[in-house]
Amino acid sequence: MQGKIIVVTSGKGGVGKTTATSSIGAALALEGNRVAIVDMDIGLRNLDVVMGLENRIVFNIVDVVLDRCKVEQAAIRDRRIENLFLIPASQSDNKDVLTTAGVERVAKQLRSRFDYIIMDSPAGIERGFENSVVAADEALVICTPDVSAVRDADRVIGLLYARSLNPKLIVNRIEPARVTRGEMLSHDDVMEVLSIDLVGLVPMDEKVLISSNTGAPLVLQNDSKAGAAFRRIARRLNGEEDLPIEMPVYKTSMWQKISKTFGLK
Amino acid sequence: MLSGLLKRFTGKNNSKDAAKKRLQFSLIYDKLEVNDTTLTDLQQDIVDVISKYFEIDKDALELKVKRDDDVSALVFNTPILHVKRKRA
Repeated sequence: MQGKIIVVTSGKGGVGKTTATSSIGAALALEGNRVAIVDMDIGLRNLDVVMGLENRIVFNIVDVVLDRCKVEQAAIRDRRIENLFLIPASQSDNKDVLTTAGVERVAKQLRSRFDYIIMDSPAGIERGFENSVVAADEALVICTPDVSAVRDADRVIGLLYARSLNPKLIVNRIEPARVTRGEMLSHDDVMEVLSIDLVGLVPMDEKVLISSNTGAPLVLQNDSKAGAAFRRIARRLNGEEDLPIEMPVYKTSMWQKISKTFGLK
Repeated sequence: MLSGLLKRFTGKNNSKDAAKKRLQFSLIYDKLEVNDTTLTDLQQDIVDVISKYFEIDKDALELKVKRDDDVSALVFNTPILHVKRKRA
Protein backbone atom coordinates (compact mmCIF):
# COMPACT_ATOMS: atom_id res chain seq x y z
CA MET A 1 0.00 0.00 0.00
CA GLN A 2 1.28 3.45 -0.87
CA GLY A 3 -1.12 5.99 0.57
CA LYS A 4 -1.53 9.62 -0.35
CA ILE A 5 -0.99 12.47 2.09
CA ILE A 6 -3.36 15.41 1.69
CA VAL A 7 -2.81 18.55 3.76
CA VAL A 8 -5.76 20.80 4.53
CA THR A 9 -4.70 24.37 5.15
CA SER A 10 -5.97 27.95 5.04
CA GLY A 11 -3.62 30.47 6.62
CA LYS A 12 -6.45 32.13 8.49
CA GLY A 13 -8.08 30.35 11.40
CA GLY A 14 -11.77 29.76 11.83
CA VAL A 15 -12.65 29.19 8.18
CA GLY A 16 -13.63 25.55 8.62
CA LYS A 17 -10.38 23.59 8.32
CA THR A 18 -11.22 21.14 11.08
CA THR A 19 -14.75 20.56 9.77
CA ALA A 20 -13.41 20.08 6.26
CA THR A 21 -10.68 17.69 7.38
CA SER A 22 -12.99 15.49 9.44
CA SER A 23 -15.72 15.51 6.80
CA ILE A 24 -13.47 14.76 3.84
CA GLY A 25 -11.65 12.06 5.82
CA ALA A 26 -14.93 10.46 6.86
CA ALA A 27 -16.31 10.65 3.33
CA LEU A 28 -13.16 9.04 1.87
CA ALA A 29 -13.56 6.21 4.38
CA LEU A 30 -17.22 5.80 3.35
CA GLU A 31 -15.94 5.41 -0.21
CA GLY A 32 -14.10 2.32 0.98
CA ASN A 33 -10.66 3.69 1.76
CA ARG A 34 -8.57 3.19 4.85
CA VAL A 35 -8.15 6.73 6.15
CA ALA A 36 -6.09 8.38 8.90
CA ILE A 37 -6.85 11.91 9.96
CA VAL A 38 -3.93 13.59 11.69
CA ASP A 39 -4.38 16.66 13.89
CA MET A 40 -1.23 18.74 13.42
CA ASP A 41 -2.40 21.61 15.62
CA ILE A 42 -0.07 20.78 18.50
CA GLY A 43 -1.19 22.38 21.75
CA LEU A 44 -4.65 23.28 20.44
CA ARG A 45 -6.20 19.97 19.50
CA ASN A 46 -9.78 19.96 18.28
CA LEU A 47 -10.37 17.18 15.80
CA ASP A 48 -10.96 14.71 18.63
CA VAL A 49 -13.97 16.63 20.01
CA VAL A 50 -15.36 17.42 16.56
CA MET A 51 -15.18 13.70 15.72
CA GLY A 52 -16.52 12.60 19.10
CA LEU A 53 -13.38 10.66 20.02
CA GLU A 54 -12.06 12.80 22.87
CA ASN A 55 -12.59 10.14 25.54
CA ARG A 56 -10.45 7.57 23.81
CA ILE A 57 -7.11 9.33 23.49
CA VAL A 58 -4.13 7.46 24.88
CA PHE A 59 -1.24 8.46 22.63
CA ASN A 60 -0.90 11.31 20.14
CA ILE A 61 1.10 12.37 17.09
CA VAL A 62 3.91 13.79 19.20
CA ASP A 63 4.32 10.41 20.89
CA VAL A 64 4.53 8.78 17.45
CA VAL A 65 7.07 11.25 16.08
CA LEU A 66 9.20 11.03 19.23
CA ASP A 67 9.04 7.22 19.04
CA ARG A 68 7.22 6.82 22.34
CA CYS A 69 4.59 4.60 20.70
CA LYS A 70 3.67 2.95 17.41
CA VAL A 71 1.28 4.39 14.81
CA GLU A 72 -1.24 1.63 15.66
CA GLN A 73 -1.27 2.65 19.32
CA ALA A 74 -2.01 6.31 18.58
CA ALA A 75 -4.61 5.79 15.84
CA ILE A 76 -8.12 5.82 17.36
CA ARG A 77 -10.63 3.79 15.39
CA ASP A 78 -13.91 5.60 14.68
CA ARG A 79 -16.94 3.73 16.03
CA ARG A 80 -19.42 4.82 13.38
CA ILE A 81 -17.37 4.74 10.22
CA GLU A 82 -15.32 1.72 9.30
CA ASN A 83 -11.69 2.21 8.32
CA LEU A 84 -11.57 5.76 9.71
CA PHE A 85 -8.85 6.59 12.22
CA LEU A 86 -7.78 9.71 14.10
CA ILE A 87 -4.28 10.45 15.30
CA PRO A 88 -4.87 13.32 17.73
CA ALA A 89 -2.58 16.24 18.46
CA SER A 90 -0.90 16.59 21.81
CA GLN A 91 -2.52 19.15 24.06
CA SER A 92 0.39 19.82 26.42
CA ASP A 93 3.36 20.14 24.09
CA ASN A 94 4.33 23.17 22.11
CA LYS A 95 4.61 23.31 18.35
CA ASP A 96 8.40 23.26 18.30
CA VAL A 97 8.51 19.74 19.70
CA LEU A 98 8.09 18.34 16.16
CA THR A 99 10.74 18.47 13.44
CA THR A 100 10.15 18.16 9.72
CA ALA A 101 12.54 15.19 9.63
CA GLY A 102 10.52 13.44 12.32
CA VAL A 103 7.25 14.10 10.50
CA GLU A 104 8.70 12.79 7.25
CA ARG A 105 9.80 9.57 8.93
CA VAL A 106 6.30 9.01 10.37
CA ALA A 107 4.74 9.94 7.01
CA LYS A 108 6.50 6.96 5.47
CA GLN A 109 4.97 4.65 8.08
CA LEU A 110 1.52 6.19 7.55
CA ARG A 111 1.70 5.77 3.78
CA SER A 112 2.30 2.06 4.17
CA ARG A 113 -0.73 1.63 6.47
CA PHE A 114 -3.43 3.87 4.97
CA ASP A 115 -4.87 4.82 1.55
CA TYR A 116 -5.33 8.44 2.55
CA ILE A 117 -3.73 10.48 5.30
CA ILE A 118 -5.42 13.84 5.86
CA MET A 119 -3.30 16.37 7.74
CA ASP A 120 -5.17 19.18 9.48
CA SER A 121 -2.74 22.06 9.51
CA PRO A 122 -2.83 24.72 12.23
CA ALA A 123 -3.67 28.31 11.30
CA GLY A 124 -0.69 30.49 10.44
CA ILE A 125 2.39 29.90 8.32
CA GLU A 126 4.98 29.06 10.95
CA ARG A 127 6.49 25.84 12.23
CA GLY A 128 3.19 23.98 12.56
CA PHE A 129 2.37 24.76 8.94
CA GLU A 130 5.82 23.58 7.81
CA ASN A 131 5.37 20.30 9.66
CA SER A 132 1.95 19.77 8.10
CA VAL A 133 3.05 20.33 4.51
CA VAL A 134 6.51 18.76 4.55
CA ALA A 135 5.31 15.28 3.60
CA ALA A 136 2.19 16.22 1.64
CA ASP A 137 1.47 14.86 -1.84
CA GLU A 138 -1.55 17.08 -2.34
CA ALA A 139 -2.88 20.25 -0.73
CA LEU A 140 -6.35 21.66 -0.20
CA VAL A 141 -6.80 25.33 0.62
CA ILE A 142 -10.00 26.30 2.43
CA CYS A 143 -11.27 29.82 2.32
CA THR A 144 -14.46 31.68 3.09
CA PRO A 145 -15.76 34.51 0.87
CA ASP A 146 -14.33 37.39 2.90
CA VAL A 147 -11.34 39.65 2.30
CA SER A 148 -9.14 38.40 5.12
CA ALA A 149 -9.63 34.70 4.37
CA VAL A 150 -9.00 35.20 0.65
CA ARG A 151 -5.86 37.23 1.26
CA ASP A 152 -4.45 34.64 3.66
CA ALA A 153 -5.37 31.88 1.22
CA ASP A 154 -3.36 33.67 -1.46
CA ARG A 155 -0.32 33.79 0.80
CA VAL A 156 -0.61 30.09 1.64
CA ILE A 157 -1.08 29.17 -2.03
CA GLY A 158 2.21 30.95 -2.79
CA LEU A 159 3.98 28.99 -0.05
CA LEU A 160 2.56 25.71 -1.35
CA TYR A 161 3.68 26.48 -4.91
CA ALA A 162 7.15 27.12 -3.54
CA ARG A 163 7.09 23.53 -2.26
CA SER A 164 6.00 22.24 -5.68
CA LEU A 165 2.50 21.49 -4.42
CA ASN A 166 -0.41 22.38 -6.67
CA PRO A 167 -3.19 23.28 -4.24
CA LYS A 168 -6.89 22.99 -4.96
CA LEU A 169 -9.44 25.39 -3.54
CA ILE A 170 -12.53 24.80 -1.43
CA VAL A 171 -14.78 27.81 -0.90
CA ASN A 172 -16.61 27.32 2.37
CA ARG A 173 -19.66 28.96 3.98
CA ILE A 174 -21.17 30.37 0.83
CA GLU A 175 -24.49 32.12 1.46
CA PRO A 176 -26.25 32.20 -1.92
CA ALA A 177 -28.84 34.77 -0.84
CA ARG A 178 -26.13 37.24 0.18
CA VAL A 179 -24.19 36.58 -3.02
CA THR A 180 -27.36 37.45 -4.96
CA ARG A 181 -27.74 40.65 -2.99
CA GLY A 182 -24.18 41.62 -3.83
CA GLU A 183 -23.11 41.47 -0.20
CA MET A 184 -20.80 38.51 -0.55
CA LEU A 185 -18.05 37.53 -2.96
CA SER A 186 -19.21 34.74 -5.24
CA HIS A 187 -17.06 31.65 -5.78
CA ASP A 188 -16.27 33.02 -9.23
CA ASP A 189 -14.92 36.21 -7.65
CA VAL A 190 -12.78 34.20 -5.23
CA MET A 191 -11.43 31.97 -8.00
CA GLU A 192 -10.68 34.94 -10.20
CA VAL A 193 -8.71 36.63 -7.44
CA LEU A 194 -6.79 33.50 -6.44
CA SER A 195 -6.59 31.89 -9.91
CA ILE A 196 -6.34 28.28 -8.79
CA ASP A 197 -8.40 25.16 -9.50
CA LEU A 198 -11.56 24.55 -7.57
CA VAL A 199 -12.38 21.21 -5.96
CA GLY A 200 -15.60 22.11 -4.23
CA LEU A 201 -18.12 24.67 -3.01
CA VAL A 202 -19.64 24.31 0.43
CA PRO A 203 -22.73 26.26 1.44
CA MET A 204 -23.23 27.78 4.88
CA ASP A 205 -25.00 25.14 6.92
CA GLU A 206 -26.40 25.28 10.46
CA LYS A 207 -25.96 21.53 10.70
CA VAL A 208 -22.18 21.95 11.00
CA LEU A 209 -22.45 23.42 14.50
CA ILE A 210 -25.14 20.95 15.51
CA SER A 211 -23.14 17.92 14.46
CA SER A 212 -20.03 19.24 16.20
CA ASN A 213 -22.09 19.70 19.39
CA THR A 214 -22.60 15.96 19.60
CA GLY A 215 -19.44 14.84 17.80
CA ALA A 216 -21.44 13.11 15.07
CA PRO A 217 -19.98 13.00 11.54
CA LEU A 218 -21.49 15.68 9.33
CA VAL A 219 -21.30 13.44 6.27
CA LEU A 220 -23.68 10.94 7.86
CA GLN A 221 -26.45 13.56 8.25
CA ASN A 222 -28.68 13.08 5.26
CA ASP A 223 -30.10 16.57 5.35
CA SER A 224 -26.80 18.44 5.62
CA LYS A 225 -25.95 20.50 2.53
CA ALA A 226 -22.38 21.00 3.70
CA GLY A 227 -22.05 17.28 4.43
CA ALA A 228 -23.23 16.46 0.91
CA ALA A 229 -20.76 18.97 -0.55
CA PHE A 230 -17.87 17.41 1.39
CA ARG A 231 -18.87 13.94 0.19
CA ARG A 232 -18.71 15.15 -3.39
CA ILE A 233 -15.30 16.69 -2.74
CA ALA A 234 -14.10 13.35 -1.38
CA ARG A 235 -15.36 11.53 -4.47
CA ARG A 236 -13.50 14.01 -6.65
CA LEU A 237 -10.31 13.45 -4.67
CA ASN A 238 -10.87 9.71 -4.87
CA GLY A 239 -10.57 9.60 -8.64
CA GLU A 240 -13.93 10.89 -9.89
CA GLU A 241 -12.30 14.05 -11.14
CA ASP A 242 -15.09 14.81 -13.58
CA LEU A 243 -17.86 14.79 -11.00
CA PRO A 244 -19.50 18.20 -11.61
CA ILE A 245 -19.11 20.82 -8.91
CA GLU A 246 -22.54 21.65 -7.56
CA MET A 247 -23.22 25.37 -7.47
CA PRO A 248 -25.03 26.70 -4.43
CA VAL A 249 -28.34 28.05 -5.76
CA TYR A 250 -28.24 31.72 -6.60
CA LYS A 251 -31.71 33.10 -6.91
CA THR A 252 -31.86 35.80 -9.56
CA SER A 253 -34.29 38.63 -9.13
CA MET A 254 -36.84 39.55 -11.75
CA TRP A 255 -34.94 42.73 -12.60
CA GLN A 256 -31.70 40.85 -13.11
CA LYS A 257 -33.47 38.42 -15.41
CA ILE A 258 -35.03 41.24 -17.42
CA SER A 259 -31.80 43.17 -17.76
CA LYS A 260 -29.97 39.99 -18.75
CA THR A 261 -32.60 39.25 -21.43
CA PHE A 262 -32.10 42.73 -22.89
CA GLY A 263 -28.35 42.44 -22.60
CA LEU A 264 -28.15 45.51 -20.38
CA LYS A 265 -26.39 43.99 -17.38
CA MET B 1 -27.91 49.43 -16.21
CA LEU B 2 -31.28 48.38 -14.90
CA SER B 3 -29.71 46.95 -11.82
CA GLY B 4 -27.85 50.22 -11.45
CA LEU B 5 -31.11 52.14 -11.56
CA LEU B 6 -32.66 49.69 -9.17
CA LYS B 7 -29.74 50.15 -6.85
CA ARG B 8 -30.27 53.88 -6.89
CA PHE B 9 -33.92 53.44 -5.99
CA THR B 10 -33.36 50.93 -3.28
CA GLY B 11 -30.16 52.51 -2.04
CA LYS B 12 -28.42 49.13 -2.17
CA ASN B 13 -24.75 48.93 -2.88
CA ASN B 14 -22.73 45.99 -4.07
CA SER B 15 -20.16 45.91 -1.32
CA LYS B 16 -18.73 42.70 -2.76
CA ASP B 17 -17.43 44.62 -5.77
CA ALA B 18 -15.47 46.81 -3.40
CA ALA B 19 -14.20 43.70 -1.62
CA LYS B 20 -12.99 42.19 -4.87
CA LYS B 21 -11.24 45.34 -6.03
CA ARG B 22 -9.53 45.89 -2.70
CA LEU B 23 -8.41 42.28 -2.63
CA GLN B 24 -6.95 42.41 -6.13
CA PHE B 25 -4.96 45.52 -5.24
CA SER B 26 -3.70 44.27 -1.92
CA LEU B 27 -2.60 40.94 -3.36
CA ILE B 28 -0.52 42.72 -5.99
CA TYR B 29 1.07 44.93 -3.36
CA ASP B 30 1.68 41.99 -1.01
CA LYS B 31 3.66 40.28 -3.73
CA LEU B 32 5.88 43.31 -4.30
CA GLU B 33 6.99 43.37 -0.71
CA VAL B 34 10.61 42.34 -0.39
CA ASN B 35 12.08 41.35 2.94
CA ASP B 36 15.36 42.74 4.28
CA THR B 37 17.38 39.53 3.98
CA THR B 38 16.51 39.25 0.30
CA LEU B 39 17.58 42.86 -0.26
CA THR B 40 20.85 42.38 1.64
CA ASP B 41 21.65 39.18 -0.28
CA LEU B 42 20.80 40.84 -3.58
CA GLN B 43 22.97 43.85 -2.73
CA GLN B 44 25.93 41.58 -1.97
CA ASP B 45 25.48 39.73 -5.27
CA ILE B 46 25.22 42.97 -7.26
CA VAL B 47 28.35 44.36 -5.56
CA ASP B 48 30.26 41.17 -6.37
CA VAL B 49 29.35 41.33 -10.05
CA ILE B 50 30.02 45.05 -10.46
CA SER B 51 33.30 44.78 -8.57
CA LYS B 52 34.61 42.53 -11.31
CA TYR B 53 34.53 45.48 -13.72
CA PHE B 54 34.52 48.63 -11.61
CA GLU B 55 36.00 49.82 -8.40
CA ILE B 56 33.04 51.14 -6.45
CA ASP B 57 32.57 52.95 -3.19
CA LYS B 58 31.00 50.20 -1.11
CA ASP B 59 30.05 52.53 1.72
CA ALA B 60 28.11 54.97 -0.44
CA LEU B 61 25.95 52.56 -2.38
CA GLU B 62 22.26 52.10 -1.82
CA LEU B 63 19.66 49.64 -3.00
CA LYS B 64 15.96 50.21 -2.70
CA VAL B 65 12.61 49.29 -4.16
CA LYS B 66 10.80 52.29 -5.54
CA ARG B 67 7.06 51.97 -5.85
CA ASP B 68 4.74 53.93 -8.06
CA ASP B 69 1.08 53.39 -8.71
CA ASP B 70 1.50 50.75 -11.35
CA VAL B 71 5.19 49.92 -11.54
CA SER B 72 7.75 48.91 -9.04
CA ALA B 73 11.46 49.45 -9.71
CA LEU B 74 14.67 48.31 -8.18
CA VAL B 75 17.06 51.22 -7.85
CA PHE B 76 20.75 50.64 -7.27
CA ASN B 77 22.95 53.66 -6.76
CA THR B 78 26.72 53.54 -6.55
CA PRO B 79 29.59 55.92 -7.16
CA ILE B 80 32.18 54.45 -9.55
CA LEU B 81 35.74 55.17 -8.45
CA HIS B 82 37.42 53.81 -11.56
CA VAL B 83 37.13 51.18 -14.23
CA LYS B 84 39.21 48.08 -13.87
CA ARG B 85 41.33 47.52 -16.98
CA LYS B 86 41.68 43.96 -18.02
CA ARG B 87 45.22 42.92 -18.77
CA ALA B 88 45.54 41.84 -22.35
